[in-house]
Amino acid sequence: MTPLPAAAPIIRYGRLLTVLGLLGMAVVYLLALRYTPVEARQGMAQKIFYVHAPAAWGALIAFVLVGVASILYLWLHDPRLDLFAEASAEVGLAFSAVMLTTGPIWGKPIWGTWWTWDARLTLTLFLFLLFLGYLTLRAAVREPVERARFSAVLGIMALVLVPFIHLSVYLFRTLHPQPILLKPSRPSLPPQMLRTLLTSMGVYTLLYLGFVTLRYGIGLRRAARLREVDDA
Amino acid sequence: MPELPQNGAYMVAAYIVTAVILMGYAVSLWMRSR
Repeated sequence: MTPLPAAAPIIRYGRLLTVLGLLGMAVVYLLALRYTPVEARQGMAQKIFYVHAPAAWGALIAFVLVGVASILYLWLHDPRLDLFAEASAEVGLAFSAVMLTTGPIWGKPIWGTWWTWDARLTLTLFLFLLFLGYLTLRAAVREPVERARFSAVLGIMALVLVPFIHLSVYLFRTLHPQPILLKPSRPSLPPQMLRTLLTSMGVYTLLYLGFVTLRYGIGLRRAARLREVDDA
Repeated sequence: MPELPQNGAYMVAAYIVTAVILMGYAVSLWMRSR
């Protein structure tokens, strides 16, 4: 049986990163409200972009890493990879919740509707529901090896959806704006807006690291306790 | 020069929702890690 690392130092480290990430979010709010200019056509609603797009970035990183950890788990059978995938899926869901709520709040004043069933929005909602199913599956299966194997398969299938979401604005007719950063040409934003966006993406990455480390530590501690119960 | 759209309330709502979700999740992790 693979020995598990001690949970306490990982939890402490996760807490530190989380606090730094939350402080970073306060800086992003200040930058967005005080430093970044108001966009002439969209008005103040455009500033929703600084919390919405980086949340999408964080969620897609989280879900890609679930897929990668799942592939590695099926290959190496290391329970730490399964615990990491579980942690990353939960954090991805939290970021997706930000993405799926702030998107419609921006859509109402700009598009005139809260929601439209276009490719980008629909695929993103499917990904959210898929990972909700992933965590539900994990909660339903009690046997650890079986749970890890079933959820790894689902995590890999969800990974296949991620490139379609990124490319959906090119592949399908969609209302959603084109990518501003993750595209072959240079970023199409004025410098102040670009700096705020990049800061926000950095902060969401830091928050991802904090949340996922903390959640991984919680999973480790739970797994260690279950092993103790099994051994007793 | 065109008039700026008056939609600041949507931005305030989005920022509050974001803070509530992220802080709520952080608190949930904190409680579970105790």
